[in-house]
Amino acid sequence: MRFWPRPGSPDPAAAPSAAAGARLGTPQDRLRSDSQEVARQRIGYTIAIFGLLFVAIAGRMGYVSLLRDGGEPVQRVAARGGALQGERADIVDRNSIVLATSVPVMSAFVNPRLVLEPQDAARRLASALPEGKLEEFSEKLEGDRSFAWIKRGLSPAEHDRINRLGIPGLDFQAEERRIYPQGSAAAHILGYSSVDNAGLAGVERYFERELQAGEPLQLSIDLRLQRFVEQEIARAVRKFSAIGATAIVLDATNGEILAMASLPTYDPNRARTITNEALFNRGTLGVYEQGSTFKIFNTAMTLDAGRATLDKIYDAREPIKIDRFTINDFHGQNRAMTVAEVFKFSSNIGSAKMAMDVGVEGQRAFFDRIGMLKPIPIELGESAGPLYPRHWMKINLMTISFGHGISVTPLHLASGTAAMINGGILHRPTLVKRAGKADVGRRVVSERTSVAMRQLLRLAVTEGTGKSADVAGYEVGGKTGTAEKPGRSGYREKALISSFVGAFPMSDPKFVILVSVDEPKGLKETGGYATGGWVAAPSFKAIAEHIVALYGIQPGDWKGGLAPLQVASVAVPPPLPASALTSRARQRTVDQRKALPARAPGAGPAPGERRHATE
Amino acid sequence: MSMLAAGEAPQISFAERIWRINWALVLILTAIAAVGFLALYSAAGGRPEPWAAKHALRYAGALTLMLGVALVHPKVWLSLAWPIYLVSLALLVAVDLVGKIGMGAQRWLVLGPVQIQPSEIAKVAVILVLARYYHGLKPEQSGKLLHTVPAAALILAPVALVMVQPDLGTALMVLMGGGCVMFVAGTRLWAFAAAGLAAVASMPVAWTLMHEYQRRRVLTFLDPERDPLGAGYHITQSKIAIGSGGLFGKGFLHGTQSSLNFLPEKQTDFIFTSFVEEWGLAGAAVVLALFGAAILIGHSVALRSRHHFGRLVAMGVTAMLFLYVFINVAMVMGLLPVVGVPLPLVSNGGTAMLSVMFACGLLIGVNVYRDAALPRAG
Repeated sequence: MRFWPRPGSPDPAAAPSAAAGARLGTPQDRLRSDSQEVARQRIGYTIAIFGLLFVAIAGRMGYVSLLRDGGEPVQRVAARGGALQGERADIVDRNSIVLATSVPVMSAFVNPRLVLEPQDAARRLASALPEGKLEEFSEKLEGDRSFAWIKRGLSPAEHDRINRLGIPGLDFQAEERRIYPQGSAAAHILGYSSVDNAGLAGVERYFERELQAGEPLQLSIDLRLQRFVEQEIARAVRKFSAIGATAIVLDATNGEILAMASLPTYDPNRARTITNEALFNRGTLGVYEQGSTFKIFNTAMTLDAGRATLDKIYDAREPIKIDRFTINDFHGQNRAMTVAEVFKFSSNIGSAKMAMDVGVEGQRAFFDRIGMLKPIPIELGESAGPLYPRHWMKINLMTISFGHGISVTPLHLASGTAAMINGGILHRPTLVKRAGKADVGRRVVSERTSVAMRQLLRLAVTEGTGKSADVAGYEVGGKTGTAEKPGRSGYREKALISSFVGAFPMSDPKFVILVSVDEPKGLKETGGYATGGWVAAPSFKAIAEHIVALYGIQPGDWKGGLAPLQVASVAVPPPLPASALTSRARQRTVDQRKALPARAPGAGPAPGERRHATE
Repeated sequence: MSMLAAGEAPQISFAERIWRINWALVLILTAIAAVGFLALYSAAGGRPEPWAAKHALRYAGALTLMLGVALVHPKVWLSLAWPIYLVSLALLVAVDLVGKIGMGAQRWLVLGPVQIQPSEIAKVAVILVLARYYHGLKPEQSGKLLHTVPAAALILAPVALVMVQPDLGTALMVLMGGGCVMFVAGTRLWAFAAAGLAAVASMPVAWTLMHEYQRRRVLTFLDPERDPLGAGYHITQSKIAIGSGGLFGKGFLHGTQSSLNFLPEKQTDFIFTSFVEEWGLAGAAVVLALFGAAILIGHSVALRSRHHFGRLVAMGVTAMLFLYVFINVAMVMGLLPVVGVPLPLVSNGGTAMLSVMFACGLLIGVNVYRDAALPRAG
């Protein structure tokens, strides 16, 4: 039992009453000792709790007054007498060219309570700032509050004019303003920021915390290439009167994005003028049925599963009827074809039959493996996930084989293509320069499959639909795709997404390029066609040529030679298992938009006729 | 062992009583009041008017009151505890019915020439009545549920009346101050846990009962940037002012944020902010150390009291002082919502100073009469 504080207990006031300290407890004390002991113990706890809380607020005080920049760094800057502090970090391209930076500016604000003659002051302000409205100023100056912005980010002349007005209650605040010296270049990657320097889109928003903390950001993009890609797709959009376009240049060996453009675009320096349509990044946020370019994945899947070799023969004579739908070929050959021919002629029938050899489960697992069923973890908030059938059925199996019934972003397509031709490694695409720490990636197809895919892509350019993408001496390979955009009921025949995805040099692919044009209109010089081969392949070629010039690549700079694929036509058609593929099941649940409208069997494709089928 | 030997209190001479007054505490309180004087002087732009001079006069009066209260024998407070409590309840009811509305809340009661704020009286009254209540219990009773419920009711009645005004800050202080007395009196911990659970469970209800401005303050507390020019303005500006002070401040009369009127309520709830802006972290440390010392002295008085009543009164007063300081400082730094709790002896305002000094008088009285024998039955 203790009646007195322990020696050494926190008791700074003990001194004045030390004289009384020698008395022992009286009987009365002892009687009450139980509650007294409890009380002493609890007083001890209280001291501990109060002490902890006191330390907490004292610590917070130290934090707020020394470390933290006061909640609104901009204003603290003023309190420090104009010295800029905690500047938002720069964003640079892979060659350290500045893409976004912060510059100090002055902003005018007013404390309306200190303004003596609000009406007069408002009139004078309106004369000094001609673009401002008199009513707006009056409202601000007469309000019963102690703060209102007059104008932020003043030009030096404006600053001077307002200063000369000498209005009491009006003052200036040193701020910083975000500047994008390259104008609209790489706008969808950079995003833009608010007048308070908060990132509102793109990497500006994604890396908000890091930029705010002053960490500079080096992107993987090459501004020189970025500019060219933007100009090139702008040219294609103008030429084909398209509503938009996107292009991506990807380093096949590590997933770095060297350029990514989307049209329409915007100028991040003029945040107020940005429309939602311009803000839309087709490359990462646009989810489209990609059409025939998906045959790259279908073919790789079938080869990699060991269900076929390049010369396995598929009968593509008869359109496949399933439920209410019929699968046709655009470049119909009406004969049996090898796998290589199916790819070269972009046969839907052959592709569907190849997919049937793998089956629904195998297809689903393969697409999952190559990342087509998940959003791509890119460093942008504007990133969308794929759309694919919840109930993956036979009809889906077939349509997905040629790129319908599944919608992914162009970045998915570019990234997947890179994995098919780079030796079989899927890298995570990135917008940030990977300095030293290379992405090891994940194997998704065998080396052997990858070599076969290179041969096939090369073949599609040398002999197939992608001839206009070729750059002599640089072993370009690629695949065209023309997909109809779904409308309210079924596909809209005149609304196409025409694309070309490919890479070069095919012996040792380094650059994957995807060009995709939204709703191009056919021209006289293209024979009325607005397909991927006519619209996107020339842009691919222009970009590839620019890369060759930009990086000074000579033919033969790469190691290894790719054996050209010899494609022999199949002489004798095998007997037809005609009804084998025609399902009688009437699956009403199939979404009409995900399959193709029926077409009279046997009718050959007329030249110049645009089809629902993919090219 | 005989029952209480009532009335055998050792008689102590007047000189000894004066000697036993906690002069260290008096000195600390005066130093704090002096800080308040400096801060108010600066907040008025370097003039003693309109706040600093009155503050000094008021402190002189409050100091006299405190020393007077300190020399009153605790048995008097013991017998007055119930009447004071009942009167304060009556005043709270009266203010809810006919009170004067100031700043959107009914807090003042006008009795002829005197304006009183019954919620300030209630803070002290609850401490007194709880100490009185537990003093009358047998030691083994104080942990029992049967005896915990009445004590809780003694706290909740004024809390409810203050909430209605609505004055969230004072209601919280009465609640937590009373809770602290109950804790020291030996209330079982599970009772606090149950009360805490009940409080959490009743939060949605409380939300619907809150005034719009209170809800906005809570939301703003959770995210000050939500409305930087509106309700979040208080907190943001306060943090900016504190942050701009740095280690040693901008110097006396040189605080720009406060003198340029960036800071709202700079002479009352946010006085600490303008002080820190001018005196820096060092000044803040001094003020917090002064309050910390006062609170430690309060604890030591509680430990040294030989009667339960004194112990509980001392702890109640100490807790009240702590809560004032903690809530105010946490509030201006954005750790707690803006609930309107002044910094005692520093903020401008008479009623709060009087109630704090009266309470400190009780505390010192406990020290002076620490050996008094008080009968349990009263």
